[in-house]
Amino acid sequence: MELEGGRSLPKIKIVYCASCGYEPQTLELVSALMYAFHYDIAGIEIIPWQDGAFDVAVDGELIHSMYRDGGFPAPEMIINAVRERLGR
Amino acid sequence: MAVTRERFEQGMTYDEYKAQMTRNRERLEENERTVELSTDDIEFFRNLPEPLHVLVITEDWCGDAIANVPILGRLAAESGKLNIRVFLRDQNPDLMDQYLNQGVHRSIPVFAFFDQQFRPIGHWIERPAVITEMQEKMMANLYATDPAFADVAPGTSIAVMPDAARARLMQAFAAFRADTRLQADREVVRELRELIQQGLTIHQEA
Repeated sequence: MELEGGRSLPKIKIVYCASCGYEPQTLELVSALMYAFHYDIAGIEIIPWQDGAFDVAVDGELIHSMYRDGGFPAPEMIINAVRERLGR
Repeated sequence: MAVTRERFEQGMTYDEYKAQMTRNRERLEENERTVELSTDDIEFFRNLPEPLHVLVITEDWCGDAIANVPILGRLAAESGKLNIRVFLRDQNPDLMDQYLNQGVHRSIPVFAFFDQQFRPIGHWIERPAVITEMQEKMMANLYATDPAFADVAPGTSIAVMPDAARARLMQAFAAFRADTRLQADREVVRELRELIQQGLTIHQEA
């Protein structure tokens, strides 16, 4: 989403394995992002998937992948990635 | 740490497990009603030399568990030879950690079989091996032939995959599940029979 002055707000995608019971971790991350950024993100897309996935991308860049990196990301790591894009 | 009779008895019966499910109970019971068991399969379990204890590790949100636990439930009901106790994965890490998939993954469901003396006979995890192989081939074929994947490398995260490719993948998985349901059910029973037969033979030879 582009704003005045060419500045754009980050868009976040969270892919979680819906057959693995990862809803609590997904909601925890969504909540952390909502409280950290309020209006300063374009949106958070939550995508139910399978096969043990828990992946997070910010503006098309894969920040965390359970398959690649293992485990769940600390919310602070995702928040930092969003802050970088906001130039904070 | 071996599973003891005392630990086993702490589990829920199959009916108790179903009664406490908070989701997917209708799907599980529908699968239990519709699974096709052959006379030969039922006779195999009825003719087991002794009743077996079956430790089940599961959760009600797991798709593989909703598909496969009811097959075991039907086999138990039809044969009268399987004494099932169910444990929830996330509340019983001591049990789950004894049956990790490839030594790493906490895959469910787990079916662990024991004889009357609680000697292990064998255990089964998640889904039939042949179905996992077929799924991998289906995905490889999709990446190789579907135009939606022209610029998508195999193994690309769903989080960065183009929407068109993701939609195709979702359709393909749904079709795969529908197309392979009967085969998957038959494979579960075949693998369980093979596992039990091998375990009992080893016990007899020992």
